[in-house]
Amino acid sequence: MSYLHTVRTVLAKDLRTELRSKETLATLLLFGGVLTFILAFGLSNDPKMNRRIMPGAIWLAVLFTGTLGVGRTFAREAEDGAFAALVLSPAPRSAILLAKIIVNLMMTLIVMALVLPLMTMLLRVDLTDVLGPLILQLILGSVGFAVIGTPLAVMAVGARFAEVLLPMVIFPLVVPVLIAGVKGTGVLLGVTASVTEEPTVWLQMMLAFDVFYGTGGLLLFERMVSE
Amino acid sequence: MKPFRIATVVAALGVVAAHYLVFIYVPMEKTMGAAQRIYYFHVPSAMLFYLGIACCFVGSLGYLLTRKARWDVFAHAAAEVALVFGVVVLVTGPLWAKAAWSVWWKWEPRLTTMAILFLIFCAYWALRSFGGRTDGVRTFAAVLAVLGTPNIYFVNQAVKRWGGVHPPAVETTSEMKMVKWTCLAILMLVFTLLLILRYRARRESLAVLTLKRRFARLET
Repeated sequence: MSYLHTVRTVLAKDLRTELRSKETLATLLLFGGVLTFILAFGLSNDPKMNRRIMPGAIWLAVLFTGTLGVGRTFAREAEDGAFAALVLSPAPRSAILLAKIIVNLMMTLIVMALVLPLMTMLLRVDLTDVLGPLILQLILGSVGFAVIGTPLAVMAVGARFAEVLLPMVIFPLVVPVLIAGVKGTGVLLGVTASVTEEPTVWLQMMLAFDVFYGTGGLLLFERMVSE
Repeated sequence: MKPFRIATVVAALGVVAAHYLVFIYVPMEKTMGAAQRIYYFHVPSAMLFYLGIACCFVGSLGYLLTRKARWDVFAHAAAEVALVFGVVVLVTGPLWAKAAWSVWWKWEPRLTTMAILFLIFCAYWALRSFGGRTDGVRTFAAVLAVLGTPNIYFVNQAVKRWGGVHPPAVETTSEMKMVKWTCLAILMLVFTLLLILRYRARRESLAVLTLKRRFARLET
C-alpha cells in the first residue's frame, strides 16, 4: 500500500464510523454550543465591548473544542482494542498520523462552523466584513492545533490521568498559535492596540508553526510509538 | 565518592561567599538601588534554567534515537533541576519588576518565553510524576521535550511582534561583572551537583522498579 493510500484508507474508515455513530461530532457540537452560551453569560452585554472580547472568545473555543476532539483521536481504537493492531500493521505510521490529523482538523472546523455564527448572534458582533480572512486564520490555526495535539494524543494512550495531562501538555505548546490567532483576529476587527500591523504577519507566523510542527511530528512519529 | 563531597563543601562555601559579594561587596547601582542586587541571582539562574532545558532536550532526543534508559534518566533529572532554577527566576523576576517597573509582570518576549517554557516543563514533570512509569510515558515525555523546546522560538517571535521591552544588562563597573560571573560559576557548581544527585537517585529508583517487576513476574 502506498503512503497516500494508507492515509485515505484510515481517513475513510474514521469518517465512515463517525458518520454512522456521530458520537464525537454530536458531543463536540453540543459542547461548542454550550461553551458559546457560557461565554455570552460570562462576558458583557455591550456589543462594543464584545467586539474587543471576540478574538479571545473565538480562539478559546477553538482551543477547548479542539482539545476535547483530539482527546478522542484514538478513543474508539483503544476501546475496541484495535490500537495495537493499527500500530502493528505494516502501514507507515506517519500516514496513520496524517489521517488522524486530518480527521481532527475536520472536526474542529465543523464545530467552529456552528460556533462562529452562534457567537455573532449571541455576542452581537458583525463578522460579515472580515469573514474571508477570518476563515483563513481559523483554518491555519486549527491546522497548528491539530499537528501539535494529535501526536501528543497518540502518546497519551495508556498514560494515567491522560484526560487531565493532555490539555496541560497541549495548552502551553499551542500558545504561539493562540497569540497569532487572537492578535490577528483583533487586527481584523480593528480592536488590537497595534492597528498598523498587517494581519498577514500573523498568518505567516501560523503557517511557519504549521509547517514546522507538521513535518516535525510526522518525522518523529516513527520513533514515538515503539511497542 | 570523595570528589563529590569536596565539591559539595566548595559549593556550600561558595553560596555563602556569593551572598557576601552580592549584598556587601558590590557597589550600589545608582538608579535602581538595592533592588538591582537581585540581578546577580536572577540572571545566572535564568542561564542555568535554559541550560537544564537544553540538557533535557538532548537527553530526550538521545532516548528517542537510542531507546537507552540512561538518556531518559538524564533528561528527567535535567528537567527537575531546570525547574528549580526556573522557580528562582520566576520569584526573583517579579520582585525586581515590582521595584523597577512598579508592576509584578509585563507581557514582553523574555518573560513570556520563560513562563511558557516553564509551563511546558511543569507539564513534563507532572507527566513523569503522575502519568505512570511505563515506556509509553517515557516516550511521551521525550516527545514533549523535543517538540516543546523549539516552541520558545515561536513564542518569542509572537510576543516580539506584539511589542515589548526587557531591560538590557546594567553592568557599569567591573566589580558588577565580576560578581555576576562568580555567582554564575557558583550556581553552575550547584546545578551540576544537583544534576548528578538527581541522576543517581532516578537511576536507583529505576533499578528498584525493574527488580520489583521482575519479582512480580517470577511470582506469577
